[in-house]
Amino acid sequence: MVSFLALGGRCFYLQFYRNQHYSEACLAQRRSYRNLRPQRGVILDCRGRVLAASNKVQTIFAEPRAIQDPKETSSDLAPIVDIGAHIICQQILESRNPGFARIKTTTDYNQCSAATKIYGIGVQSDWQRHYPMGNLAANVIGFTSLDNRGLEGIELKYDKELSGSAARNIFFADVYRRPIRAKQQEGILTNGKGIILTIDATIQQFTRDELIKQYENYEAESAVAIVAEPKTGAILAMVSLPDFNPADIRTTDPNNFRSRAITDWYEPGSILKPVTVAIALEAGVVNKTEKIFCENGNYRGEGFGRIGEYRRGFGNLTVREILINSSNIGMAKIGQRLGKDRLHDGLKLFGFGRKTGIELPGEVDGLLRPANTWDGYSVTRIPFGQEICVTSMQLIRAFCILANGGRLVRPFMVRAVVDNDGNITELKRPPPPVGYIIKPEVAKWVVGEAMASVVNEGTGKRAKLDKWQVFGKTGTANIALSDSRGYSDRDYVASFVAGAPAEDPAIVVLVSIRKPNRSLGKGYTGGAVSSPVAAKIIERTLTYLGVE
Amino acid sequence: MSQFRFVFVVFCFTAVLIFAVNLRSANDRIFYERCACNADMSRLKQELGTKQLLLEGLINPAAISQRVDKSNTDK
Repeated sequence: MVSFLALGGRCFYLQFYRNQHYSEACLAQRRSYRNLRPQRGVILDCRGRVLAASNKVQTIFAEPRAIQDPKETSSDLAPIVDIGAHIICQQILESRNPGFARIKTTTDYNQCSAATKIYGIGVQSDWQRHYPMGNLAANVIGFTSLDNRGLEGIELKYDKELSGSAARNIFFADVYRRPIRAKQQEGILTNGKGIILTIDATIQQFTRDELIKQYENYEAESAVAIVAEPKTGAILAMVSLPDFNPADIRTTDPNNFRSRAITDWYEPGSILKPVTVAIALEAGVVNKTEKIFCENGNYRGEGFGRIGEYRRGFGNLTVREILINSSNIGMAKIGQRLGKDRLHDGLKLFGFGRKTGIELPGEVDGLLRPANTWDGYSVTRIPFGQEICVTSMQLIRAFCILANGGRLVRPFMVRAVVDNDGNITELKRPPPPVGYIIKPEVAKWVVGEAMASVVNEGTGKRAKLDKWQVFGKTGTANIALSDSRGYSDRDYVASFVAGAPAEDPAIVVLVSIRKPNRSLGKGYTGGAVSSPVAAKIIERTLTYLGVE
Repeated sequence: MSQFRFVFVVFCFTAVLIFAVNLRSANDRIFYERCACNADMSRLKQELGTKQLLLEGLINPAAISQRVDKSNTDK
């Protein structure tokens, strides 16, 4: 009787007071969780070639706290994973994490299924990011962290779209931990969306090939090249050197991660002259035929100091000849005629002093001081590219405006965002151009006559091509000293902007090489260093695009 | 005869019980098989993805350019 009462009392206690505890324990034992991590979206070039993609890899790991005899486990595992038993044993014993010691990362499922038969060995699936093209477009694509978060470039800018959303499955499991019934799903698993760029990997390859040869040849500090479609603003190629391999970022200098075309600003020098000429022609302060006296190479006055020329002095020059000979004095006089307000407003209209809005992180807006801070020096120096800081992307935008007949254009790099079924969810078409920055006839003259003459007769002769009429402008800009006033006489930025065909430009190319080594004796000017590179890029690109 | 009938009834009853138990767990069994098939399908998709990435790595402009440069250097 007593035993019966004791038993009854115990049953009552368990059923009534401890009901909650044992229900939860039972559920915890039966429940199993599975975290579903989404696949990161792909990044493709404009022709659908893969620039970045994610794939699953299996990591075979050991759980040191569960392994009784590491030597025996290592001996069993060694023939399966093709790693020496002593190495495996060492990894197990030296692991700081008692629950996880990585043995091997592999995509071989046979190895994984054989390895899991050994007690204390498990397999974990992870997404791994792959960059099939390596260094090509690395500065544009960027890279991800180990946990697949974007850290640079498009990977960072479009991290939200590329990441997708995770979910968690909760289900009931049997004694062997096999799922037998679904209980709940937390969240909806959505794989990341794909990004299609305007970049063409073939043009990117041409551009990088040509630029890297010159960059190494001249032992330059850095180099940038951009190829753009002037009518739409689509960026077909953008190379920044030195670059890096996104699959191997640990050993890379962090300075190489940035895309110098948008993060580095500099005084552009003579390459800005066609823009100033276009502003002056639009404002009507000069015309195409009048001659401007260029003071025979020595122009001095109150409020603006002394202005000289790079080489010899000139007498009377037309606007076209000012560009052909790249006369600083000619440009200074044009600037004085414009005045600070018109010059400032004109440069603002061309997009200087503000970001282009390109879809990459880290863009700077350059430096164009407000007109009310300008003095006599400013209005004479800015026309030939000093006292103003620009990025390469701003320059390419300005020349795209000139090349497409004066219409406003915004450079862009992302063509579309697509979902997992390949349907376009967002077409990143830039807004249609509204209005003209300058009149079409002015733009056509600057490009087709003046800049074409620079290549045919002037400082850009090395960019001449037989098959197409190339237009361009050289620039050899002094670099300002960082520790004192004035400019270095050793360090320059050698630039060349060009496009072709002049009659109906299909592409505009900018090449900018910073600090080519003068002591090599191979030259340092934009005409010597950058224009041959631009010519080769134009030739190969137009042939590839089939432009007649 | 009644003994035979008795055995027959017990046999049928047992069979029905076994069948009922089997039926009860059919849902769980099919769920597990479905999960296993999904896992297989996912594995095959990933293997295809790996092959595709390998192929992309061989035929992209950067790889072709490297091979062309290498063969020019060898010549």
